[in-house]
Amino acid sequence: MSPAISLLIALGLGLAGWLVARRRAYRFLQESQTGRIAALPNYHGWYAALWIAVPMVLFLLVWEAVSGQFVLAHALASPEARALPDSGLLRDRMISEAYNLASGASTTAYSNEARALAEPFREAMLRYDLIGLAIAVIIAGAGAAWAFLRLRPEAKVRTRVERIVLLGLLLASLVAILTTLGIFVTLVFETFRFFGMISPIDFLFGAQWNPDPMSNAANPDPNRYGAIPLFWGTLFIGAIIAMIVAIPFGLMSAIYLTQYARPRLRRWVKPALEILAGVPTVVYGYFAALTVAPAIRDLALSMGVDNPSSESALAAGLVMGIMIIPFVSSMADDSIAAVPQSMRDGSLAVGATTNETIRRVLVPAALPGIVAGVMLAVSRAIGETMIVVMAASTAANLTGNPLEAMTTVTVQIVALLTGEGSFDHPATLAAFALGFVLFLVTLALNFIALRVVRRFREAYE
Amino acid sequence: MNDTSASTVPPTAPTRTVAFEKRLKKRYAAERRFKMMGLGAVVFSIVVLVFLLVTMTINGLGGFQRAELSVPVDLSQAALSIDEPVTNADEAISSLQRQGLPEVVQYSASEALGDEAADQLASDAWRVVADEIVADPSLVDESRTYWLPASEDLATALTGSGQTNLQPLARELTANGALADRFDPGFLTRSDATDPQMVGIWAALKGSILTMIVTLALAFPIGVLAALYLEEYAPRNRWTDLIEVSINNLAAVPSIIFGLLGLAVFLGLFPNLRSAPVIGGMTLALMTMPVIVISGRNAIKAVPPSIRDGALAIGASPVQVVFQHVLPLALPGILTGTIIGMARALGETAPLLLIGMRAFVATPPEGFTDNATVLPMQIFLWSDEIDRGFVERTSAAIIVLLAFLLLMNGLAIYLRNRFEKSW
Repeated sequence: MSPAISLLIALGLGLAGWLVARRRAYRFLQESQTGRIAALPNYHGWYAALWIAVPMVLFLLVWEAVSGQFVLAHALASPEARALPDSGLLRDRMISEAYNLASGASTTAYSNEARALAEPFREAMLRYDLIGLAIAVIIAGAGAAWAFLRLRPEAKVRTRVERIVLLGLLLASLVAILTTLGIFVTLVFETFRFFGMISPIDFLFGAQWNPDPMSNAANPDPNRYGAIPLFWGTLFIGAIIAMIVAIPFGLMSAIYLTQYARPRLRRWVKPALEILAGVPTVVYGYFAALTVAPAIRDLALSMGVDNPSSESALAAGLVMGIMIIPFVSSMADDSIAAVPQSMRDGSLAVGATTNETIRRVLVPAALPGIVAGVMLAVSRAIGETMIVVMAASTAANLTGNPLEAMTTVTVQIVALLTGEGSFDHPATLAAFALGFVLFLVTLALNFIALRVVRRFREAYE
Repeated sequence: MNDTSASTVPPTAPTRTVAFEKRLKKRYAAERRFKMMGLGAVVFSIVVLVFLLVTMTINGLGGFQRAELSVPVDLSQAALSIDEPVTNADEAISSLQRQGLPEVVQYSASEALGDEAADQLASDAWRVVADEIVADPSLVDESRTYWLPASEDLATALTGSGQTNLQPLARELTANGALADRFDPGFLTRSDATDPQMVGIWAALKGSILTMIVTLALAFPIGVLAALYLEEYAPRNRWTDLIEVSINNLAAVPSIIFGLLGLAVFLGLFPNLRSAPVIGGMTLALMTMPVIVISGRNAIKAVPPSIRDGALAIGASPVQVVFQHVLPLALPGILTGTIIGMARALGETAPLLLIGMRAFVATPPEGFTDNATVLPMQIFLWSDEIDRGFVERTSAAIIVLLAFLLLMNGLAIYLRNRFEKSW
């Protein structure tokens, strides 16, 4: 049964409970001598609805996660399952084929065994769906009984409902912590598995990157897992080339727009820059791969470079820099605007030109904010994926020549996880280790940047 | 009287020596240069933006067209029949195929255009005729001219590149008016295919819509409730600090990390839902939620305390104050932030790449658990195709994606202007 239908049943029962409880509350209201009851009728409705729907939905969620195991066990206990091979990939594939056939996800199966097994699967699914639904309805009924026994004219249901609402609010805000924790635990767990196969020293300080997902997983070659070329490629593309484009252009745009431009121009240009920031990265990647990279290769050819690569670090870095310009510009804009007007006026009053004021007074005063903005921009650039996936190469290359092909951490994560490797192979687990490094580095950059901004802001308040 | 003689001071002050004048000139020149550099930076950004949009538009306009051959088909002689009423379009089409419609179309084409041109009809060209018959069964007795898709090779030849032996044929057919680039409305209604002449974006668009529904259904309530808690109830202690720090960090975590989380956790729990909109939507929801929380908190903070005090004063409980007074007033601001967050999620590719939404999807997903792809992913997949025809199709898909994003951002700006209040 689809989860949507179960959910609708739960909501329908909840609604029924809401209506009935509310009507009862109105009757309380009529019967009471004072014309008052302890809570508004709506709250009676909510009290009943929550007691009916919440336990039922919670149970359905749990059931959705565990019933698959029951179905599998039931189907494998059937006589048809004996025809399957005892173990191995073939068996797993037949089981999943049969499952897909039974659940309607596919209409054909390649093997006869899978077709035969589909019938027990279907039967098991139906059976456990019905069991699940029955238990869910019983739970809802129990919730309803509990709630309706407690609904009296003098029951303070509002405070109870509100306590549940507050609990809901608290749970919602805990999702952020759970996500952070989830990211951290997953990355740490998989990274440790990886470090069980390849030593962290080899990974962090090796200069050869060439993992082979088809090699023997039990005995990987540690010399193929040196991530230095990836770190260098990431740094070179994201923190050097992209910043060479983004910092001057972003900073100068911000200065021009805050100090020189007339309000009318500013009103038009700022949203345009924001569009530049809102273009999806896959579009930038396409632009880089289709337009910028060939142009750079042609330019290099015409300048007499032998055999320039069609996937150059320069193309990816340039386009990434363009993507980051509006980001740097708005951060610089904010921090320049935060410098008190009196400092600017003072400088102009002693006869400095606008340009001297900007360079000697405004920029130095806004420097911590600008530096923080640049750090956030770097953190964004090194985490950027699609541009480099489409415009940089997958070949690890430890070089300082921007015209050569280079690869980055994010490109390798995508390459390793979209391949055919199994989840127990160090080549797949390496992607998580790379992700962990990326997570830690971007986290550190963001953290320092936020600290710098906070400290800087206090200076003028 | 001596005082008036003071008015005969020289026109330039004595401090304005020649060196001073020179220095001043230099400073003014530096000022102008600096200003020009600033203007240059702004102009550069705008030029790049315009260049990007213009190249995409020029390339993409071609993607909404395809090379089509005009073929007169006399269906009355083919004695096709179609069951009335047409209950199932798929069945009707396969019945027409069994009755020999492909052969009829092929024969008509070689009669009208010659064998060489008929060979350059796309292999699925008869489906265009079949679709029209299903839409209007009376066509089976009529003779009509259909515009049918040409093969990819002929389409390339029409642009003056590709196989040299086809180029004279393409020129001849164009001169006869039998071959032309025609607007292809089917690009929006068909799904992915291996032939660029036959592809469309409907499956990807539908996948995007389904994914966005899941994202919105999860991220919006959770984001708003979390924002309400943090802004209205949360005591100042270590716990709320921790929540705040993790929300701010999540907003800055690279999107690919969310893909790793989705891969390890969601696909670990539901291995059968690989590349389904539910999983994609859940992953994107985790990414969008912090954006909604941050913008929601700002909107809630902007509601003046007097509103809360007024409601509390007439006996509302804190929960009633928040849900009946603060939330409605903050909602426009929260919606603006939500739309911006959703626009970002709509353009996101990297996390979905990791959770396997890169499959070739030729049938639009029926529900939240079907195999699906999304619009940015379709762009990514097409950009890897080597066929020349896919370049234009990719740009056309990009135009559609950008149009959606502009629409969403426009809506956000409209909402902001319409409901912006200053208390």
